Amino acid sequence: MNERDIKMASTSNTAADPSIGTSDASGQGVSAEKLERKPDWRAAFGLREMGVFYALLLLVIVLSFATAYMGRSNYLSVLNVTNVMYQASLTSFMAIAMTVVLITGNFDLSVASVAAFSAAVFVGSANSMGLIPAGCLAMGAAIVAGLINGSIVQFVGINAFIVTLGTLTAIRGLVLIYTDGASLTIQSPEMSAALRAFESQRVDAGIVLAVIAVALLICSAVHYTRAKRLEPVNLGMMLGGAALLAFTWSAGFEVPLKMPVIYLAAFTLLVWFVLRFTTVGRRIYAVGGNPEAARLSGINVTFYKLAAFVFCSATAGFAGILFASRLRSMNPTGLQGYELTVIAAAILGGTSLFGGAGSVIKTLGGALLLYSLTNGFNILNLGANYQGLIEGVVVVAAAAIYTVGGRSGRKS
Amino acid sequence: MMTAEQPLMKLDGIAKTFGRSVIALKSVDLEIYRGRVHGLLGANGAGKSTLIKILSGAFPATAGTIQWKGAPASWSSPKEANDMGVATIHQHIPLVPSLSVLENIFLSSQQTWRTTKAMRAQFDALCTRVGYWLDPDKLVGDLSIGARQMVAIFQALGSGADMIVMDEPTASLALEERELVYRTIRLLSKNENKAILFVSHFLDEIIALTDEVTVLRDGRAVMRAETKDLDETKIAEAIVGRQIAAMENAASDRQLADFDDAPVILELKELSSPGKLAPISLNLRAGEVIGIAGLLGSGRSELLHAIFGADQHARGEVLLNGKPLKRSTMAAVKAGVGLVPEDRMQQGLVPDFEIWRNTTLPALEGVSRGGFMPVMRRERERGADAIQRLGIKAPGPDALVSELSGGNAQKVTIAKWLYSHIDVLLLDEPTAGIDIGAKTDILILVRKLASTGKGVIIVSSEFEELLAVSDRILVMRDARCIAEKPVADTSEHELILLAGGQTEMSETA
Repeated sequence: MNERDIKMASTSNTAADPSIGTSDASGQGVSAEKLERKPDWRAAFGLREMGVFYALLLLVIVLSFATAYMGRSNYLSVLNVTNVMYQASLTSFMAIAMTVVLITGNFDLSVASVAAFSAAVFVGSANSMGLIPAGCLAMGAAIVAGLINGSIVQFVGINAFIVTLGTLTAIRGLVLIYTDGASLTIQSPEMSAALRAFESQRVDAGIVLAVIAVALLICSAVHYTRAKRLEPVNLGMMLGGAALLAFTWSAGFEVPLKMPVIYLAAFTLLVWFVLRFTTVGRRIYAVGGNPEAARLSGINVTFYKLAAFVFCSATAGFAGILFASRLRSMNPTGLQGYELTVIAAAILGGTSLFGGAGSVIKTLGGALLLYSLTNGFNILNLGANYQGLIEGVVVVAAAAIYTVGGRSGRKS
Repeated sequence: MMTAEQPLMKLDGIAKTFGRSVIALKSVDLEIYRGRVHGLLGANGAGKSTLIKILSGAFPATAGTIQWKGAPASWSSPKEANDMGVATIHQHIPLVPSLSVLENIFLSSQQTWRTTKAMRAQFDALCTRVGYWLDPDKLVGDLSIGARQMVAIFQALGSGADMIVMDEPTASLALEERELVYRTIRLLSKNENKAILFVSHFLDEIIALTDEVTVLRDGRAVMRAETKDLDETKIAEAIVGRQIAAMENAASDRQLADFDDAPVILELKELSSPGKLAPISLNLRAGEVIGIAGLLGSGRSELLHAIFGADQHARGEVLLNGKPLKRSTMAAVKAGVGLVPEDRMQQGLVPDFEIWRNTTLPALEGVSRGGFMPVMRRERERGADAIQRLGIKAPGPDALVSELSGGNAQKVTIAKWLYSHIDVLLLDEPTAGIDIGAKTDILILVRKLASTGKGVIIVSSEFEELLAVSDRILVMRDARCIAEKPVADTSEHELILLAGGQTEMSETA
């Protein structure tokens, strides 16, 4: 390594120079403590970082009191909470993949159509070729859709919004052609049973959740003793662990989760890990943050952007299979309009439409927020008429908070 | 008309702090008179941009008073500043490229119609006043940068401003375009009695153009003098607080080595790009610095991009250490070629990333566990090391690059390449728009890199820099290499003649 040798002549050069010299001296003197990362409490717990979770918390508290006051079934009951998660799972899958596409600076309107197509292919071919080959076929179809989206955007250079607006319509058309406008249904009872086991079965995760909660508390304690002070990280882990423990304890350590929720948890963790801790994740953010700088730093921008499309469509394909397994049939208009909920969830989670910023955990929070709203309307019997209005207001309000919070949070 | 004794604008103890800790301006006094060109200078981070933003109403001062035409004044938006008669022309000209020249000039007018006869008449009057004619219906996006600068000046005049603030109006202009801007400025101050605040990094144009000079350093006005009492050395001293001899010394102390024995590390064989670059062949030896002298649009950036594999349409061969290099930026970085691009914010940095995340971007594997998990501690150490090694002025490695001043941001784009095993470093205008201190640091770093056996190709519009730092100089014009000179056998004068062509030789600094 030559880097020692080129240890800047400026040290000798700036010694004679008062102005740069002072900055250098202070730079050397403070660098050890500069290197210590000061916890930025205001940023870490500000509206921009945590807003979606505050909103979710607020909504849950309001709904709990409202249900208790109006004498309806308890909102915070284990059954209801797990139900909300179950209802949100399909959208969450797609919203997380959408977040990745948005981070790379692209856009995918075609997710719901791809999911519907995958569902139709799955149900349509399962009767003749069996579940697993049908699943592979459906995933293959979804991946091809992603390749088409990504290739047109990256190689022809058309704006992703326009391309996927086209494929949104075109793939929905394919669904109609494939199903001939009629519902497809799984016929054999064995297959139905297998699908029920795959999708609708409940698994008691109470013990596992309790273990995770305790693990979080231990991690928090270890981090605290190492850092020797309270930091956003260890406080967050502690609060999260305590909340989870309280919830499982109040449920008597019996939390029956449906399979999609478990798949979703694993999927979210995986994507979060890749984005947060790996070089792949860093490059995904760099590609969205400034594609030209990323390219000139030797990053294969085209590959990452295209791969994000394929990832998004493949995830949509899996969501489609889950959807088909849930109903064990596929209606040609199924999943219509879901793409907007998916994008709304990502935006609620603070994902930037211009690329370079976003977090899958917050997107998950966004999806849960939207479905909690829907669920609250149902429980309180407020009528579906108001639901769209309220949801729309929430999305715009969230975007406003992120924009305004982002402006004040950053020193100009 | 006001007497020359009363300043048009008087700043008294202007200070600006951001948050609790960042002090951009400590206390600045400034007097600007009608009919005079006032030069404002300072190193990067000295507070020039902050001062200009206060004057233009982008944000208010934390302390101090502003007197406008003898009365205390304050404004809180660019519109208010404009209405009072202060027009600001920013470095990155904020014009709407999809609108015509006329529509841009009268963008702020409150009339119903997009274009009116009155506007055209006013535009013609403006052209006559300035002595420069533009096609009013041409789209601004189709104009050259120099012509756009003139549109911005027209815009300021069209608003009827008494004072015009110009933030480095000539930084990205070619020679004859600069002359046009100079002529216009002289005209405005002498014939129209406008007050002009002229911000620049070029000492020669400050000397030639201004009537008085204020130098900012670390948020204070450290010098205020009549230009006729000054010379470049005195101004430069005031800017950095030292003699700028370091750069010249680096050049004269250096022995011009003979590279015939050194191994060839980079070889170009008939490298070309249709419409952008005529075929060029070149050998770069270990430890050698090749300077590329050429004006904007001469094909100099295109050459670097072709070498780096960033130009997909390039033809010909690039050999690194004898091995052919695939035509992609990935292959180039992997093989050990680094590029510091011309536009640091658009091409060099990810604005949402901190210093440390930008620094490690091309060499992530080196700070990663198992080659795929970057370790934040190592990355931040590297960021802190870069800050120290290159003298980057920043609160710490966690500072966002979008918050750094030009010279410091440039140092980050260079730091990106210092931590991976690169053999060849390509620098595209690394010193454009940055102050003398940072310039010297960068040029000395280039020499140091070469002395460790790396090959460097450096592009610059400032030929005295090339003479100070290079071993050989190639001159480019009209997308082709027209001359190759050992640095000992050439002079700045000759390079300017060659690069500018015979027609443009008359006006040289």
